[in-house]
Amino acid sequence: MNKILLFISFFIYSNAFSQELFVFTEPASNMPAKALGIRDMNGFMFEKDGKLNYHNMPELMLSINKKLMIHAQGFISNRQDGGFETEGGSLYAKYRFFSEDGKQSHFRMALFGRVSKNNAESHQEEIETMGHNSGYEAGFIATKLLHKVAISSTISYERAIYNKPTYMCSSTQMNNSAMNYTLSIGKLMLPKVYTSYNQTNVNLMFELIGQRLNDNNKSFLDMGPSIQFIVNSQARFDIGFRQQLYSTMERTAPNGVILKFEYLFFNVFK
Amino acid sequence: MKKLLILTVILFISVAVNAQILKAELTATGLTCSMCSKATYKQLISIDAIEKVEPDLNNTAFLLYFKKGSAVNISDVKKKVEDAGFSVGELVVVFNLNNQHAANNSSFTLDNNTYTFMDTKAGTLNGEVKVKILDKGFIVDKEYKQIVKTAKQYPTYASNNKNLYHIKVL
Repeated sequence: MNKILLFISFFIYSNAFSQELFVFTEPASNMPAKALGIRDMNGFMFEKDGKLNYHNMPELMLSINKKLMIHAQGFISNRQDGGFETEGGSLYAKYRFFSEDGKQSHFRMALFGRVSKNNAESHQEEIETMGHNSGYEAGFIATKLLHKVAISSTISYERAIYNKPTYMCSSTQMNNSAMNYTLSIGKLMLPKVYTSYNQTNVNLMFELIGQRLNDNNKSFLDMGPSIQFIVNSQARFDIGFRQQLYSTMERTAPNGVILKFEYLFFNVFK
Repeated sequence: MKKLLILTVILFISVAVNAQILKAELTATGLTCSMCSKATYKQLISIDAIEKVEPDLNNTAFLLYFKKGSAVNISDVKKKVEDAGFSVGELVVVFNLNNQHAANNSSFTLDNNTYTFMDTKAGTLNGEVKVKILDKGFIVDKEYKQIVKTAKQYPTYASNNKNLYHIKVL
């Protein structure tokens, strides 16, 4: 825990630009109005017996205006016996309702919601509507960019509705909802001085992701350090690691590596 | 004498036609990263009247060059910055003026927009004149609130008239 605090204070007190395009969470900021983003997330998660679960989540992101964004995401994985299978998808919306800008600083607040459908079997107590459970999630995000540091936090309610083989809805039927908490810190490492949009930006990020089940108070906390490259001020490439710090609930494959690609098209529609 | 008068009139007419906004220095607030700056750049470059945008990434500033003879609406600049997700922190506009009388509360009209002088020494303005836009959304909120408190002698300030801008000669 001390190491984490040290890491966090390193981020806060070090002297460079910052970033808030986090790998494991979304900031309260939106893409520019009328932009289209494509994203592909690849998760390589390790099960306890060593089996590798590969998740692929292609995503389309559209910013309707400066305040409202909509994402559509598909869930593909190799967890089923028949190999790769499209398991489901989700719709996500984010509405930025507060924005205050200052010189190289801002504070934003947003509300978000996600509705997911997933046909895959779930064998864990953890509730995750991104790629595991059918269900929904609704929450609140606050993001502060303070001179050189970006800090973002999320709180959300998440509810699983139904998954085969009704693991959620039998012995642990009561525990079908959870509260999620995240804290993310990001910092731009390179370049030290900007000369053009073509410079590759390198960001370091550190995130904490936690969940508490509402009815039995079982919980977990993960950390997610990551490195991000932004090419041509338009393309993003992230490498993230997710590691469980503790858990009192049953989880199938909490630890793994995330590779994420993203590309932004500006002014796609009038 | 008559010729001189005609010449003067012609000169004045051409002067009236020549008055225009040449360029503007924009400082955007709410961003640091190059991806955010590029998003703002892409929004700004989509304005019809803009010929060229020169970004200054380290200061989150943009130098805007307007097309010769095109009507410039500075509210477009504000809208595009806000569409990118950010705000205008400062907008300094460079006018090309000829024998423009300047005094507090006096105005001139250009391309259907009216510009009223504030906090400006009385005099006659010629050539490239730098002015700062003082209206809401073109300066940081703190500064706007400060000006509202002390702007009793400017009855039109904070009137929210879309085509009326208040300018201070720098």
